[in-house]
Amino acid sequence: MTTQDDTKAHAQGDHPAKVAAKRTPVDLAIRYGFLSLMAGLILFFSVASEGFVSPYSAVFIFQSVAITGILALGVTFTLVVDGFDLSIGSTATSALMLSAYVMVVLEMGAVAAVLACLVMGALVGLVNGLLIVKMKVPDLLATLGMMFLLIGLQRIPTEGRSIATGMKMPNGETTVGKFSPDFLWLGRHRFDFFIDNLIPVSVLILLGVAVLCWVFLELTRHGRLMYAIGSNQRAAALAGTNVNRYKILAYMISGVLASVGGILLAARLGRGDLASGNNLLLDSVAAALIGFAVLGAAKPNAFGTAVGALFVGVLLQGLTMMNAPYYTQDFVKGSVLVVALVFTFALTGRRRGSNH
Amino acid sequence: MKLTRRLTLGLAGGIAALAAGIAPVMAAEMPAPFDNAGEVKIALVRYLSTGDFFQAYLSGVESQAAAIGVDLRVFDSRQDAALQADMVDQAIALGVDGIIIQHGLTEAMQDAAQRALDAGIKVVAFDVDVENPAIPQIEQSDYLLGKLALEQAIKDNGDTWDAGYVYVAGIAPLDRRDVAWQDVKAANPGIRELAMFGTLDNPIANSVANQARSVLQANPGITVVFAPYDEFAKGVKIAVDEAGMTDQVDIYSADVSTADIAAMREPGSAWVATVATNPSVVGEVSVRSLAMLLAGEDPGPNVVVPPTLITQAFLNDNGITNMEELSAKMPQFAHADVSVPAWIPLPAR
Repeated sequence: MTTQDDTKAHAQGDHPAKVAAKRTPVDLAIRYGFLSLMAGLILFFSVASEGFVSPYSAVFIFQSVAITGILALGVTFTLVVDGFDLSIGSTATSALMLSAYVMVVLEMGAVAAVLACLVMGALVGLVNGLLIVKMKVPDLLATLGMMFLLIGLQRIPTEGRSIATGMKMPNGETTVGKFSPDFLWLGRHRFDFFIDNLIPVSVLILLGVAVLCWVFLELTRHGRLMYAIGSNQRAAALAGTNVNRYKILAYMISGVLASVGGILLAARLGRGDLASGNNLLLDSVAAALIGFAVLGAAKPNAFGTAVGALFVGVLLQGLTMMNAPYYTQDFVKGSVLVVALVFTFALTGRRRGSNH
Repeated sequence: MKLTRRLTLGLAGGIAALAAGIAPVMAAEMPAPFDNAGEVKIALVRYLSTGDFFQAYLSGVESQAAAIGVDLRVFDSRQDAALQADMVDQAIALGVDGIIIQHGLTEAMQDAAQRALDAGIKVVAFDVDVENPAIPQIEQSDYLLGKLALEQAIKDNGDTWDAGYVYVAGIAPLDRRDVAWQDVKAANPGIRELAMFGTLDNPIANSVANQARSVLQANPGITVVFAPYDEFAKGVKIAVDEAGMTDQVDIYSADVSTADIAAMREPGSAWVATVATNPSVVGEVSVRSLAMLLAGEDPGPNVVVPPTLITQAFLNDNGITNMEELSAKMPQFAHADVSVPAWIPLPAR
């Protein structure tokens, strides 16, 4: 039993030292409380709502959180280096507009659209990072500025219109470009997995990104150094870490992942919708913060973020199937976040207090 | 502060004079004050401005103002109710002859509108009730919008079906469309509302798609979805496509845009009909009603711009791909015979 738990905990990237600590009921509550809550919810919805238990349902949940999940993994990186990225939502919607612009107005293909978005995401992250480490602008303020800048910027080329094939541009020309089928494939194709047409591309991308982020943060030296910077920047610098470079890297990863989210959004919608992306930002930050509570990590971590996003997805799917109106969903989302934060700060803090 | 304001006023005045100088001298048969239309200044004071609808509304106001030859000023308060009231005062200070109030909050605009009237300025209001009998209300009939879509649904599906309904309470146009839904449900007991959902989390279509998919899974018997807002309809369509229920579910909605036309015309699309008022036509009607007031005519207390039913079949039969083609093929969509005295020149099409 202990061995099994040890390996599991280790695989999920916790410090072996913590596992060795004596297990009290409080410890158990902190470590597994959140996961049991999720299991309980799934059980509840399975009983309360007909049709909740099905492979489709599971896939739906994954798909509905794919975009916010990917954004949340990005914001996790900035949280790890003790920063914050408020611009992810608007980076995603800028990527949405940019991909539509490249294909519909410039009449280029899927590859060009995807590349343009990724480059834009990296550039946004680079500028964020430079503002923060070189110009010494506090992270919240720098990325807040970037958020507004992007919300405005994405509207300038079309003078505030959404982009669709056949729309009239400000110069009076009618657009003739189309969303490339290869691009739409990203949002609409489903792979066969036991059942035909089951798993959407976006879910696979979410899983892939989550695994990559987890490996990077938990198993590589770079990830460890990022955590070191997050817990004590000065100490990390004195130990010879290039703090600035890692911080910029974290913001660039965040920007690129946000643009991946935007690409998937565009591929699903099939048009360049104007949106501020504020809901994407809030949902993904919530997922990352909920992630603090998973397995009692009390720190940003990729596994927790993914579970946090899924948790919100399970709740929303279940509530919607039970005909709960949208405002109760916001209420429930908020409650989950508060409970998760209590798990993280109050309970973990008490354990630390008693153990050290 | 005082200096800046004076400077701004001076500058604005200068620009106005310049604009008046270059404005085309319009036909002399227009009644006063439009015999010298370039001297007439009107202001559009906006509360909402971001989005395709408001962009199209503005272009309608601009093109009708240009057709008459009046000098148009646009004030944009970007959803700041207090600022919008201040902007009405700015327009008064600027000495405009007429004001169009576009959206806003009743409480904030009531006094400002009265101040404008007191200053001898004519005022019309679009989609905001300023509770003043001297101010005509321009409105697109949201009730009719919902009603026409539902009548089409009954025509296509009979009067017995299980429905999903997308609605968010507290949004004025959606509330008015909801009245139509309640009426139709009451009149047709065979129509059952199995699920009501909806959200305005943006991007709206994406959030609604997530909800709609859960709803369709929980209620596989749904055959009609009434989604009286095009962003809702788009979301439902994504969900229907993803659930592979395209053949089973029909979507009836309100509003239309170029992107909506493309979505309705996709092969086998579940989105079969929408009902819409052309926002730029509403903009044109707003300017014409104000012009009538300025010329001493009465557009009536409620100026309603009627909506038009647009079906998937009509779009396919006529090969329509965008709003311009829709206007060309559907004259009642391109122009509303509302507030059209013979002397007002219509925008060129």
